[in-house]
Formats: sequence, C-alpha cells, structure tokens
Amino acid sequence: MKEGSHKTTRNLCPYCSASFDTLEGLKAHVISVHKTEALPKPDGWITMQINGQAHELKVEPEWTLYQVIHDKLGLTGVKMFCDRGACGSCTVIMDGRPILSCMTLAIECDGRTIETAEGIAAANHPLVESYVKHHTMQCGYCTPGFVTTAKALLDRNADPTEEEIIEALGGNLCRCGTYPQHPKAVLEAAKILREEPSK
Amino acid sequence: MTEKKLGPYQNLRAEGTYKIEADIPTISFERIGKRGVRRYDGYEKASGKALYTRDVLLPGMLYAKVLASPYAHAKITRLDTSKAGAYPGVRAVLRYDDPEIKGRELNGSIAGPKRMSPETAGWAMKPAKTILGDEALFEGQMVGVAICADSEQIAAEALKLLKVEWEQRPFVLDQEEALQPGAPVLIPGADSNKIPDDRALIEKGDIAKGFQEADQIIEFTARRHAHLWAGAEMPCVIAKWSGDKLEMWVHEQQPYLSKLILSEQLDIPMNKIHTHSLYQGCSFGERCNPTNWSQNGINVLAVLLAQKSGRPVKLVLNRAENFYGESGDMMVGYFKVGAKKDGTITAVQMRNVFANYMCTTGVEHLVDNTRIPNLRSEGITADVNKAPAWWCRCEQLPNVFCQTLIFDHVADALGLDPTEVALKNDGCEGHDISHLSEYRREHGFPDRDSLPECIEAGKKAIGWDEKWHPPGTKRLPNGRMHGMAFTWSHDWDDVRGTGSAAVLIQNDGSVSIIAQHSDVGTNPWTAYIQIVADELGVRYEDVEINPFDLNHGFALMSPDGSCNLVSNGFIVKKAAQKAKGMLLDLASEKFDLPAEALDVRESYVYEKANPENRKPLKDIVKMATPMLNAVGIWTEPPVFAWAWHTHGLWGQANETRRPRMCRQANFIEVEVDTDTGEVFVTHVVNVNDVGKAISPETVEGQMYGGTYMGLGRALTEEMVWDPATGVLLNRNLLDYKYATMLDYPKAECIYIETGLGHGPYGSTGIGENTATMIPALLGPAVYNAIGKQIDDFPITPDKILKALGKL
Repeated sequence: MKEGSHKTTRNLCPYCSASFDTLEGLKAHVISVHKTEALPKPDGWITMQINGQAHELKVEPEWTLYQVIHDKLGLTGVKMFCDRGACGSCTVIMDGRPILSCMTLAIECDGRTIETAEGIAAANHPLVESYVKHHTMQCGYCTPGFVTTAKALLDRNADPTEEEIIEALGGNLCRCGTYPQHPKAVLEAAKILREEPSK
Repeated sequence: MTEKKLGPYQNLRAEGTYKIEADIPTISFERIGKRGVRRYDGYEKASGKALYTRDVLLPGMLYAKVLASPYAHAKITRLDTSKAGAYPGVRAVLRYDDPEIKGRELNGSIAGPKRMSPETAGWAMKPAKTILGDEALFEGQMVGVAICADSEQIAAEALKLLKVEWEQRPFVLDQEEALQPGAPVLIPGADSNKIPDDRALIEKGDIAKGFQEADQIIEFTARRHAHLWAGAEMPCVIAKWSGDKLEMWVHEQQPYLSKLILSEQLDIPMNKIHTHSLYQGCSFGERCNPTNWSQNGINVLAVLLAQKSGRPVKLVLNRAENFYGESGDMMVGYFKVGAKKDGTITAVQMRNVFANYMCTTGVEHLVDNTRIPNLRSEGITADVNKAPAWWCRCEQLPNVFCQTLIFDHVADALGLDPTEVALKNDGCEGHDISHLSEYRREHGFPDRDSLPECIEAGKKAIGWDEKWHPPGTKRLPNGRMHGMAFTWSHDWDDVRGTGSAAVLIQNDGSVSIIAQHSDVGTNPWTAYIQIVADELGVRYEDVEINPFDLNHGFALMSPDGSCNLVSNGFIVKKAAQKAKGMLLDLASEKFDLPAEALDVRESYVYEKANPENRKPLKDIVKMATPMLNAVGIWTEPPVFAWAWHTHGLWGQANETRRPRMCRQANFIEVEVDTDTGEVFVTHVVNVNDVGKAISPETVEGQMYGGTYMGLGRALTEEMVWDPATGVLLNRNLLDYKYATMLDYPKAECIYIETGLGHGPYGSTGIGENTATMIPALLGPAVYNAIGKQIDDFPITPDKILKALGKL
C-alpha cells in the first residue's frame, strides 16, 4: 500500500484490509496470501459440503454453525446441551476434526466439509449399530455428539486403545452416565472396520 | 351372603387394582430377562434422528424469554416496557400486571384430597407462588415480564431495553441463619422463616430408654450442600393455539398431569388440549415435571404468550436459567446414636435443618430397613433466598445420607466391620428380618433374606475380607491412603402409579401398543415390548409402540418413583393377555377348535395338541379391522384390548402396607492423596436385588449410570452463591463439575433376582437407587482412608486438607 495515495478508487482486501492499486493486484494477493478464491461470494453466502451434499446458504454473521445445521437444515443430531462448549453434544466433524458447532460461526465455515451423526448413520458406519448393541445411550440427548466424536477418532486412528477412546471422548458429557459402554462400542466398531474396510 | 354383581366400571376397577401377591409367570420367557434384545430407541438416538421437544420448530413460531431477577430479594417498583415492546421483531409482551397473568399462582398436583393447588407447586415456593409477580425471592427468579419475538436473540435484546427499578431487600442464604431472630423474613407478615411441615417430628419407641440401654453414645454433625439435576435437554415447551384448541409440545415426565393442571389453571377443557411428548433429554423427576415451579411457570407463560401473539410460542430455559432449583437435600444434621458393643443400635436421635424443602426427613430408611426400636427425628425447614428445591432423581437422599453416616459412625466407634453392623440391625419397622417371613409366605413370595445375599456378593467382588482395614491405617506404595466403605438399603420401588394402555393387532399381524409414555432414558419401551411379545406369543420385532401422543387417551404411568416398569409392566401385560384372549377367540372359529385348544408362539397361532396345525397371525386377523371402506366385504371387529392398572400409592394398595423386601449393598474403594487432598475412586461395586430383571442391560445401565451421578454429587458437584450478593456463581457446566468419562472407573454392577419385588414377575425398580446411595458413601470411604471424619458434602480437597491439619 502506498503512503499518501491520492487515488479515489482503492481495491481493499476483504480479509486484511490491505489496499491495492489494481483489481488484478488484489486478486493475486487474495490467492497468494489468503489461499482462497479471488472473487468472494456476496456477503453472507457460504457453501458447505454436509454429509456429502452441497449446501449454499445465506447466513447472518452471528449465526452459529449449530443454528444453521439444526434450525435451518433440520439436522437434529446436533444437540444444544450446555450452551457454551462444555459438553460436546453439538459436535460435528469438520474437515476430519471434531468441532463444537455451538462455538463456531457459520460464516467462517465457507468451503468446509462437515459430517453429522445423520451422515454417519446413512453411510452405515458400524459405530451406529455397535452403539445400539451396547446400550450406549439412555436418554440419548448426548449420543449423536459421542458418535461423531468417536467417528472422528476412528478416522484418524483405526485401532485405538481403550485409553485413547476415553481420552477422545473425555470432553463429552452424559448425565445419565453411559460412559462405560462407549469404549466397548467404539472398540467393536473399530474391529468391524478393520475386518471389513468397505464399511 | 350373595356376592354383589359388579357393574362395568366396578369391574374395571376390580380388575385393575393391584392385589398383593407374588406374580408367578404363566408363560415361558422368550425375551424377558434375556440379553441381546435390540434396544428399541437405540438407532434413533445414535443416528441423531430422535426428536426432542427442544428440536421442534413450527411455522411462524416465536421464542419467549422471561426477565430474571438480578437480586436475591427485591421488588419491582417501576417497570417500563415501552421500548422493549416497540423493538422490531417483538410480537407480544406480558407484564406481571396484565390481567391474564396478574395474581395467577403456580399450580401443582398431588394425589390426595386436594388434586390441584398452589401449595403443591414446587413445595418450597410458598412465599412466591405467583407465576410472574413483581417480587423476587432469589436471584434468577422469573419475574416482571415475559416477551416473545421472532428469534431468541431479539427476545433477549428486548429484555435489555426494559426499564426496571428495583427495591432491594435484605436476604439470607443459610437455613440456620434464616431461623435466627432478626433474620430477614421472606414471607411478608410471618414471624419467622420456618416452614410448617407435618413430618416435623417423628418418634418411635422410647428414645430415653434406648440411650440408657446403650453401651456407647455417638454424636456428630453432618452437612450436605446444594447440587442439582443439570439434565441434558433444558426445560422447554411449545404452545400453539388454533381457535379454542391448544396444542402443546412438552418436555415432561408427566404430560397427562400437565394437561390436567393447565386445564384447571387456565380453564381450558381437557379435550381441547392436544399434547405431544417426544423423547426426553433427561429429567430425573426434578425439572420437566409439570408440578415443579419452573415447569408450571413456563407452561403457563407459553400458553398465554401464544394467545396474546396469535402465534406458536416456544419457551426454552437456557443453561444458566435452568440452574435455579436445587436438589431437596440441602441440610445440616445433628445426630446422637446409642449402640451396644456388638453393634446393635438401640436409639437414634436426629435433628435435621433443611433449606427450602425437606425432601424426606432423614429417618425413614431406619424405619423401613432396620430393627432399631427407638427413633426420634426432628425435621426443620427454613425458607432462604435460593431457588425452590425439589427432589432430584430421588427424594430419599436425606434418608440415605443419614442411614449411611449413622451406620458408619457406629461401626467406627465400636471398632466393628460395617457389614456386620448392617446385618446386626437389618429388619423392618423395629422388628428383626424374620418379621417379614410371615408377609412373604402369606402373599406367595419366596422366603429369602435379600441383604445377606447382596452383602456376600459385594464383599466377594471387591475383596472386602482381604482388603478392609481400620481407618487411616493403610498407605499404598504410591503414597496415597487406601480407603474402603460399604452401605446398604432397601429397594427403591415406590410401588405406586396408575396408567392405561391398549394393544391392537393390525391386519397384517403386527402389534401396536397404544399409550402415551415419556422416556427419560430408562429403556422402558424395549421392556414393554418384551412383555407384550412374550405374553402375546409374537416375535419381538412384530411389536411397536408409539408413545409420543397423548390425544388417544391412553397414558402409561410416568417414569417416577422407580415404579415405571412395575406399574406399566402390569398394564401392558394385562392388555396383552386380554388381546390374546380375543385373538384366540377369533382363531377358534378359523381353526374350528375351542380357544383353549390353541396358543400363540412366534407370531403363529397353533393347535396345542398338534403344533403342525398352525396359521400365521395375519391370516387370523386380516379382516379384523378398525376401519375399511371396501364395499361388499365382510369385516370383523378389531382384535383390540385395553387395560388399566393401579399399583396404589406410596406403598399402600387396598390400605395394606407393603414392606420392601429387596435389598441392596454398595461398596467403594478409594485412594486419597494426602498432599493435594484429591480423592481417586478406584473401584465401585453395586449389588442390587432387582427381584426379576426384564432387560439385564437396562438394569445395569441404571446401576453404572447412577454411580457417575452419585460420585459427582459426593466429590465435585456444588452450587456456589456469593455471600455478599446472593448471586449464584457457577451456573454453567464448566464451573459446576459433574463426572466425565475420565474421572471415575467403571462400576461393577451385580444384580440378583429373588422375586421379592411387588412388580410383574417379582420385579422391583432400579432407576433411582445408585445415584442416591453413592454420594454419602464417599464420606465413610475417605474416613477409612485418612482416619478423619469429614461429614461435609461434597468432600472437596480443601476439606480433606483441613481435616489433615494441612490448611
């Protein structure tokens, strides 16, 4: 950016406010520095890949990812339990990582790939059936959050130990106290996946 | 004397009223009691498809928020709602002085002479009965104004635009301080904060004589601080008007009761209230109970706001709002116990001072469970400026707390093994355990003693005989002190409850159980289906239940009092038996054989003498239809039957007392770090006599699940108020700490089946026990480790270090 520039039209970077003389300069900067498309979508529009389907949505800046997934898209597998990132019930998998959808702004999720419990079940992931088999739910409100967290674990660790499972699920709260069943269910699902990778 | 012929109503009553007798099965169990039966709600819950009230969104739905008092005790002196009402997106404002809410009181319900009354709403709400008044008796109380708007954010913004002037008043948080002369009095015009209670004094035998007979007198004081349910799905309700019809979505254990209360409270005919109750994200009897002050309050506010705005209104408490309401066992107890050298307890005197609500007095388990002849219990309750208290998972917390600590102090003072002291005093209502034999034999129950069996199994599992030691005597190689403790009680079944259900065999031979029921996570529907399948002789997978709708008029007993299965098991069993009678009646025509010659198995009707002669159910019922619009086809009436059952109330049926015969024993092993005060729970063994397990995995689920809640209550769960302002400080799940998967080991859960329950097939309830038993047990465990009694719950590290003289 030139000091004391007298130009009346400036090309401002929407990400860092850097100013450029030409639109081409700005485009090059956005691509190289911010690693994104040079021509951003109109304000508030985002695209997300959710459970393998493309979604293009207009979101308000204050909307959380939970609000968009639950209230707008009707995916009820994200649950509001603690209100503030303390319980893991709103967990979704974003680009392979379990994240808390209640603590994530939807507008920051442009271009992301997201999986919810519904998607995991629709793909016949063995976790869902092993959760059913081991009674890994009581009231069930926190269960989808556990399933998504466990799926993210199995995606990065095909053969977790019981300790690793407990560590991975340690941030998910369950008031009914289903805790002892989760390692059993996850270990069984992991075994099925290793034996039948097609699942 | 000729027997009077019963009319149809009297007949139904006679048929449905529980008569005390052992329920001997008349069928062979195919699924009942078996492991591996597919959990009914499992897939829906694991896949995120299960719908909860909180999930429901209706077209045009508005969101409501209610003003909360920022002060522990205050009155609104001026309220200007003009700016808030004019804020874009706000659709209705309900002020405390609006005619539709002014003077309206919370309503509650209890069986008894007064069906509905403000006195029964939330018990401790006595000074603050208004649904939306101008006075707050605790910080966080819903007060002054409720607003509904296009979104929750707009409603919250609008609340900030209110102009409220408050007159702050003095407050008191501690129940003993509240009883002192000069303490601020909460009820205007009252002399003191003492709440009258007809259970204030309970006396049995001769307490002075009991103390004279004792070799030793033991005295101690114990405290239990506030904790709460903190369930997963927050209390919520949706109300929608359509003309004069009201449609409700409720997160409630007792939707039928909710309908009854709303009808009386707002003068809406019951047949115009259509209620949906979806999956329930916990409730533990505390919140989400229509007689609870906060649930009744939000129900009424949602209905009135929906009326005022002409739109559906959803009112959800957020996590912070939902923290107001303690478990009803905030107490200080003063104990004096007399005992003989051999462990026989001769007298117990206790004086318990409760804040806001005396859940139970503290003495009742000693009556139900022991042969202690002389008891005196004084229970005092004081109003304090905290939210109304309520039972949480079980009202027996004070009784268990007192029994566990009394027995442990006695064992300690006499230098005895606590399991011996338990067996020495086991009994019933002041008599020894053989007192129950006559009752058992008279009613056809097995004549077995449950407690020694439970203790034996638990001792073996935890290695009690090898590992138990006198207090403060065992340091482990890791430097920590080792402790073990044991406690015991009876089963938890309230043996009460009323409900109804129908069984319909559809024209394809599949079976529907028709009845509303709220599932709070105890896997009830699997159990009902197991019972119906086995009683009817059909395959488990052929039976379905649709419990989310109350409009058809059948409602199963709510999941309360650990008697969910006991009442409802009988109801669905009877309905299935009646439906089977109809089915065989119809089948007898198809087979041209008498009904008695036929039976049903695996969804086939067959001739008993010749099982090869069989027909699938669908062939029998294909024209037995409730509705068919075909012309020229003869139809037959549906195979449909319904049953009503009442199990009585609080252990009383036909005015006959029902002693509890099943027992339980809980064992725990801990390690205490004497440098940090941290308690490490290393082993928990729960042994429950459940009479008969219908679903073994479900029984175990309640046992290990309750363990986590119990350990949290014992060690980390505590609501903390600022003494200077009366403001609740930790109203979130980061600062109010309950167990995670990382905190505690798996509990070992052993159930035994003696058939000593009053439920179907000899079963008894299991939902409330463990979470109620475990908390007090940590006191004795820590004592056994460090040799210092703490008696102040939760047992936090600072208390341990203080007891050790390190703080």
